[in-house]
Amino acid sequence: MNQNNLDACPGWQGHLQLTYGYSGGKTQAIEHRGTAPLKVQRSFYPESAAICHNTILHTAGGVVGGDRLNIDIDLQSRSRAVITTAAAGKIYGSNGALASEQIVQNVGENACLEWLPQETIIFDGALFDRHLRVNLAATASWLGWEIDRFGRTARGERFTHGVWKSATEVYRQGIPVWIDRQLLYGDDKIDLPNSLAGYPIVGTLAWIGAGNLESDELLVSKNIVVKARSLFDGAPSKIGVTRLTEGILCRYRGDSTTEVRRWFAAVWHLLRHSYLDSPPIHLRVWQ
Amino acid sequence: MDRENSTPDRQQLLRLLQLSSPLLPVGGYSYSEGLEQIIDRGIIRDRETLQAWIDRELQTGAIRIETAMVDRAYLAGMAGDLERACYWNQWLSAARETEELRLQSWQMGGSLVKLALELTPEIADSISAIGNPCNYAIAFGVVAQSWQIDRDATILAYLHTWVANQLGVGIKSIPLGQTAGQQILWHLQANIDALARTIPTLADGDLYACSWGLSLASMQHETLYSRLFRS
Repeated sequence: MNQNNLDACPGWQGHLQLTYGYSGGKTQAIEHRGTAPLKVQRSFYPESAAICHNTILHTAGGVVGGDRLNIDIDLQSRSRAVITTAAAGKIYGSNGALASEQIVQNVGENACLEWLPQETIIFDGALFDRHLRVNLAATASWLGWEIDRFGRTARGERFTHGVWKSATEVYRQGIPVWIDRQLLYGDDKIDLPNSLAGYPIVGTLAWIGAGNLESDELLVSKNIVVKARSLFDGAPSKIGVTRLTEGILCRYRGDSTTEVRRWFAAVWHLLRHSYLDSPPIHLRVWQ
Repeated sequence: MDRENSTPDRQQLLRLLQLSSPLLPVGGYSYSEGLEQIIDRGIIRDRETLQAWIDRELQTGAIRIETAMVDRAYLAGMAGDLERACYWNQWLSAARETEELRLQSWQMGGSLVKLALELTPEIADSISAIGNPCNYAIAFGVVAQSWQIDRDATILAYLHTWVANQLGVGIKSIPLGQTAGQQILWHLQANIDALARTIPTLADGDLYACSWGLSLASMQHETLYSRLFRS
């Protein structure tokens, strides 16, 4: 798409719908429809029939100002899905129009979604608004991560102008359980210790488990927090781990996609082992 | 505007001073909100770096969202819409950056609720409708409104006490002289005022913050070996 033509062209209005159902021990993508530039690749089952894996593809390669992408994912009761993306997302510099990505994920009773997209590269000058809303049934659980790189750092680019907004909002039965509203203005203040502190990459991993409503105890024990911290092999000042009322939250602020991927995958495996009774699995696209 | 109407009445001013006094037994002074960790790492080390940190937090930090919650609770109390206050209380619990900050907010909120019920038992209905645990910002807004303190004054007082607490941490931990602390507070007056004017204009879709520094510092504070301030 020609960026000079934004007035004439309103940008992509892509929509992807993915619905999972569960029966006879198998989770299946019973509905998958995508309009350009969004596509979903064929389902695969690298671990068991109960857990359906899918990869979302953005066929245009990147997102420009004016693009509006909507992704709706529904997991019916007892279904389990692991979803990733085929490549790193790219948000190009804008000539004034906002690019938006609106994702809604509905997770039914005893269902579990593991949402593991590859990182997003925010080009200098990008105007990007990402909104992820997760609606959980009483016994649903959800794991999601997000890794963002500000500027094409390999060529020395920094995020010196533009706006990045990213909201993740998880509700259970209509009640907010985790609200994360992050905002970064591209300017000369990004390197202050309050924000990026000189680093180009931030990452967030959150796990929201099916809580025990009868108990005042938090779902995740302090022991799991200590273990999650110890799985990081870089400088401890780059990471933080804390407990949510119904889960755990890990943050990374650093300079290596490999480092944060490796840590998040290790924490994911720990949480899978501890709460989902599932063995670790290595995603092909992540290797 | 004549002087009579532009000046908060004397009872209101006294109540405001009481609500924002360091004597208020809610324990705000015992928390550092990540500062102790950042000072321990040498990132904040003098008057300039402390002032820059607080200034940036006022411009884009989590304190904006927190103060917007004070205002939403105040408005909900004024409209008698206690379900709304209850919703924002749940929202803020979900939006707190770390367990440490959430527990701080709940402890201080609980202490303020308890105190307000001792002083003015007639506000029990509006307070109990918020639910338990109650975040400090929500309690502050509802109590200020039921004590008939002016809305803008409530916002200013909340921001002022927050900045004063942060300065208290800096003075103890860096350490800094009392005069340096007062100088920072004086310099930040315009920024506090600017934010206080912005808060009532923030729509729900504006409630964003850049809180990477605060989040990581607070998460790491839980593991700091020797601490003056609570987790």
